[in-house]
Amino acid sequence: MDPYIYNIPAALANAYQGKRVIVRSHDPYELAAILAETNPENLYYLQLLSLEADIGPLLMEGAFAPLDLVMSSPASDYPQLYDLAPLNAKYPVRVTMPVMPGFTKAVRLACSLNFAVKLAVTQPDPDLLQEMSEVLAYYLHHSTVSQPIEFFHSLLMAFVEEAPLNLWTIQEEDPALFRYIADQGEETIFPRLAAAGVEQKLPFFLETFIMKLLVEEGECSTCKFINTCYGYFKWPRKDYACEGVKALLKTVKKAAHDLRQDIAAYHKPSGEDRP
Amino acid sequence: MTGPHLSLILLPTLRCNADCDYCFEVKTNDSLTLDRLALLVEKVLDYLEEDGIQNLTIYWQGGEVMMLPPEWYEQAHEVIQELAVAKDKQIDHALQTNLIGYTKKWNRILEQMFGNNLGSSLDYPNLHRRLPGSTPQEFTAIWRRNLQVAQEAGIDIGVISIPNPETFKVGAEGFYAYFVDDLGITDFQINTPFPGGPLNDAKKTYPLETDQLTQFLLDLADIWLKSGYGNGVKVGPFDELIKYFIEGNARLPCIWRDNCVNEFVCVDPKGNVAQCDCWVASYPDFHFGNIFSSSSFTELLKNSKARQYLQSRPRSLIQQEDCLACDYLALCHGGCPIRAYSTTGSLLTKDPYCSTYKSLFAHMEKHAAKLAQGRRPINREEGGQV
Repeated sequence: MDPYIYNIPAALANAYQGKRVIVRSHDPYELAAILAETNPENLYYLQLLSLEADIGPLLMEGAFAPLDLVMSSPASDYPQLYDLAPLNAKYPVRVTMPVMPGFTKAVRLACSLNFAVKLAVTQPDPDLLQEMSEVLAYYLHHSTVSQPIEFFHSLLMAFVEEAPLNLWTIQEEDPALFRYIADQGEETIFPRLAAAGVEQKLPFFLETFIMKLLVEEGECSTCKFINTCYGYFKWPRKDYACEGVKALLKTVKKAAHDLRQDIAAYHKPSGEDRP
Repeated sequence: MTGPHLSLILLPTLRCNADCDYCFEVKTNDSLTLDRLALLVEKVLDYLEEDGIQNLTIYWQGGEVMMLPPEWYEQAHEVIQELAVAKDKQIDHALQTNLIGYTKKWNRILEQMFGNNLGSSLDYPNLHRRLPGSTPQEFTAIWRRNLQVAQEAGIDIGVISIPNPETFKVGAEGFYAYFVDDLGITDFQINTPFPGGPLNDAKKTYPLETDQLTQFLLDLADIWLKSGYGNGVKVGPFDELIKYFIEGNARLPCIWRDNCVNEFVCVDPKGNVAQCDCWVASYPDFHFGNIFSSSSFTELLKNSKARQYLQSRPRSLIQQEDCLACDYLALCHGGCPIRAYSTTGSLLTKDPYCSTYKSLFAHMEKHAAKLAQGRRPINREEGGQV
């Protein structure tokens, strides 16, 4: 079995039959056709890249697969999510959005419509870290949030279960697991890593990258989140100061600790102390 | 995933045997014929097929549904079932009646078509529901008599009740006792009144004073939680709110869906199509079209400017009102369009009972947290029961 999940343009779907794929397109008709022709078990996600398109074809399709709605300008495009709400009756829906000023509006509305959220984040500045921190608090403590907000959710679960999981994997960017197929068909690395120059060593990219960071004895060498982060926030600029990011990770870890305690207390036999 | 679903509010007649002060419908003598019903259902089923919707619920409302005889519904049921089977669709039915015309003759169709359930309405105290030229007291007396007959026949009855200033004087405890202890109702729901349709003295008092309404609802919720919750008594919307805050999902009333336009549509006996009964009966400017004069129900809905305008409301509210910042956006989405429009004259304003809803949500959230804390997994070794 091919170990990779390929992010492919819909036009190349036939060439990747039998492989696990994320199929991307701006056109719901195209995605609906893919859905009809592909074994749903191989569809990791259908990725819709244009939110203003008519979603009718996706609503009519008999089969279903997880659907990823990709926003490019969350601060201004967030009201469009209301038009996409009917998809919820048929698909598990996730909204992927870049962390850019004002993205919180889209997070709040997506969660209110019961959509999962994936935050596409690079190296957030202090203002964005503040927004991320507010979104994290919203995810952790708000009673109406019932779907994951990634990467917070998977990280929280990994901390709770003490499972090995790093941000590259959560964010679907680890070249050892995920491959990006450009519109012309060439297999390459994910757009975020475009300048990495590691095309020949894709499966070892992370190990090589983290070794370099550790050898250089920079911030990563003393960071207690190194096994979780794997230098995720040190790309593309290695001199990015992770203080704010570490505060976020610390909050998630603290929440995981609290959650573990709550769960343990919940399962105590009656008569013992309960929260 | 439950799959897409459509709720059709069907008004087979606009005739009514009552003359309630706050009714938002403009009554006429129109009723649907069985031939027209078949045509209507056929068009709706075509729409379901074209839009990939598998399930339909028809909410039979009036006018007063029992102005048509039970035999009419028996034939209607046959016609609809035949069409549904041919199109491989599931159709469920729900009935909303004022019970005034109910007799035992209805029991057979209530069992066959409505699963021995019906919905009715009564306020306490009753100030506004009356028969033509009669008093609310007489209405209540007939309603209670018919309720008893229906209950004795084993019919489950859900009741909608609309509070009024006298309700607040009675208080939540007296109100709850009236429905549960006195009438034996174990499923009732509180709706808020609005000044829909032609204005009159009763409607001039709407929306209700929200502080009093809020206090009444919070008190009622507390009484239900103490006496009814877990004891087989359902009080809407409290029961679904508790479920929402404990389980993360619930069947919330139509006023709190993310966009009622996506799930509901209403057709009157003349074939006029609009969002719900108040829109179709009293606001012709907001009609989507006529199902009988359109070749396709799908096209009618798709091309209706009025429907598009209604559909745009939540999008507009999150940009113009404070809904996006609200902790309870997920539960309300700006509330009911007809309550907003009939109160403010603008569709693009939030529900006038916003502050009441927010207080209620916060109250139920707090109670749900306490209830959830009290739950614990069953330890079979301790002899727990499943």
